[in-house]
Amino acid sequence: MSYSATFTDHLSHPRNVGELANATVIAEETNPVCGDRLRLSLVIRDDRIELAKYLAYGCAPTLVSGSVLTEMMIGKTVSEVLEMTRDDLINGIGGLPTRKHHAAALAIEAVRTCLKNVR
Amino acid sequence: MHYFASEFVPMDAILNPKRQVYLDHSATTPVDAQVAAVMTRCLSDTFGNASSVHGYGQQARAAVDRARREVAALIGARQSEIVFVSGGTEANNLAIRGLCEATAHHGRHIITSSIEHPSVRGVCEGLEKQGWEVTRLPVYENGIVRTDDVEAALRPNTVLVSVMLANNEIGTIQPVIEIGSFIRERHRAGQRNLWLHTDAVQAAGRIELNVDELGCDLLSLSGHKLYAPKGVGALFVRRGVRLAPQNVGGHQERERRAGTENVPGIVGFGEAARVAQDQLQQRETHVRKLRDRFEAEVQRRIDDVLMNGDREHRLPHLSNISFRFIEGEGLLINLDLQGVAVSTGSACSSGTLEPSPVIRALGRNDELARGSMRFSFGKDNTESDVDYVVDVLVDSVARLRELSPLNKQDVFSHR
Repeated sequence: MSYSATFTDHLSHPRNVGELANATVIAEETNPVCGDRLRLSLVIRDDRIELAKYLAYGCAPTLVSGSVLTEMMIGKTVSEVLEMTRDDLINGIGGLPTRKHHAAALAIEAVRTCLKNVR
Repeated sequence: MHYFASEFVPMDAILNPKRQVYLDHSATTPVDAQVAAVMTRCLSDTFGNASSVHGYGQQARAAVDRARREVAALIGARQSEIVFVSGGTEANNLAIRGLCEATAHHGRHIITSSIEHPSVRGVCEGLEKQGWEVTRLPVYENGIVRTDDVEAALRPNTVLVSVMLANNEIGTIQPVIEIGSFIRERHRAGQRNLWLHTDAVQAAGRIELNVDELGCDLLSLSGHKLYAPKGVGALFVRRGVRLAPQNVGGHQERERRAGTENVPGIVGFGEAARVAQDQLQQRETHVRKLRDRFEAEVQRRIDDVLMNGDREHRLPHLSNISFRFIEGEGLLINLDLQGVAVSTGSACSSGTLEPSPVIRALGRNDELARGSMRFSFGKDNTESDVDYVVDVLVDSVARLRELSPLNKQDVFSHR
């Protein structure tokens, strides 16, 4: 399988990189098996994701998952974000090979950990 | 785990007409134009079966024999000591399993190293399941086996020592000459049923090789690492060494490898060996110069890099570098998007990842093993390629480090 245009675009130009100094919530998830890490920081105002930033260590799909995820989240309500699934993120990336689905799963897990801390 | 294999290919990068620089010559080399020309002639003119008695067959036989002389000359062997096979993996399988099956009545112990190619590791693991004992020698921080450790591991029932000539990931050259001379000493002392195999797949065509100087009984070669096509390789079998064939049902290759010869592949391999022998010095000087320029620039322009493997005893074309705080596969794909092809020891699949056992064997932690990259130069690379790759690398490493949540302290404290 080749990468989607979205994938290569986000890998070459990752969005929302870093950590928010004024974050409402910060969470980091690690895949204990492969060691991939994703750190998310969010500013939530009036139940809506106003800002989102990420840091990531791992294979390219993990780096891309973080970037695409932050773009998908910004502007959504907490409930809407909590409804997002791994497959939604994979679709947002333009597809991932099955053996790389764990990268999107890690990102979704990081979001849920973040929002669990809010609610 | 697929060593030094990119898990999937960003076709966009391949299809985009950007500058392309291939720095993965330890994975495979492009077929040399001269080799391709000789093979093309062979494909159209020499289609006979080399076992046939008629003229077509004899023409093919003559072509195979000529190639056998050329491959033998590359390693200082006799023509009759070359067995053509399908590549390095088959050569290693035939050498180890073939020797062990033929000599099991003398003993069932093998000594090998902890950084062998997966084909050697795999066949040793298979033999272990059949009751053989295998001692895997450590390498130290420099990635080199110690002959003293071979001596200490030797038992009266040891029949085979298999140590690669040069490692495929870090390029370190192993002391096979010393091990060979130790084994000859053991022969003189009465331990006659002891043989030495070396996997020279990475070394052949890159450094001078001579089977008598090495003192080995078996030596594996692969065509596609020296500008011949894939699907052809050879095993040197010293005169008098008994091997149980692994392919049976034909008389080819002096009963050691049944099956109709891959005549065009063998002819290509022969030509590539001849050219490699002719241009050995020139190629070695060229790739060493490029590699050294590359390493100097990387060290000058990128912080927190660690060179893997001995600086001196190593192949001239290869550089293995760990980039701290980032992961190899992410870097590899970033480079690929910019037209630069390299390898990494880290390949993550379905959430499982085994960092390169070779880099781990040097005593590096998992993160350094995951951040290791192999750059392997070839005869057609230029200084301008090196400069382009360094520029791309500086940019990609900086971008990935900006993304990385790793605390620098984490890495240093586990080193």
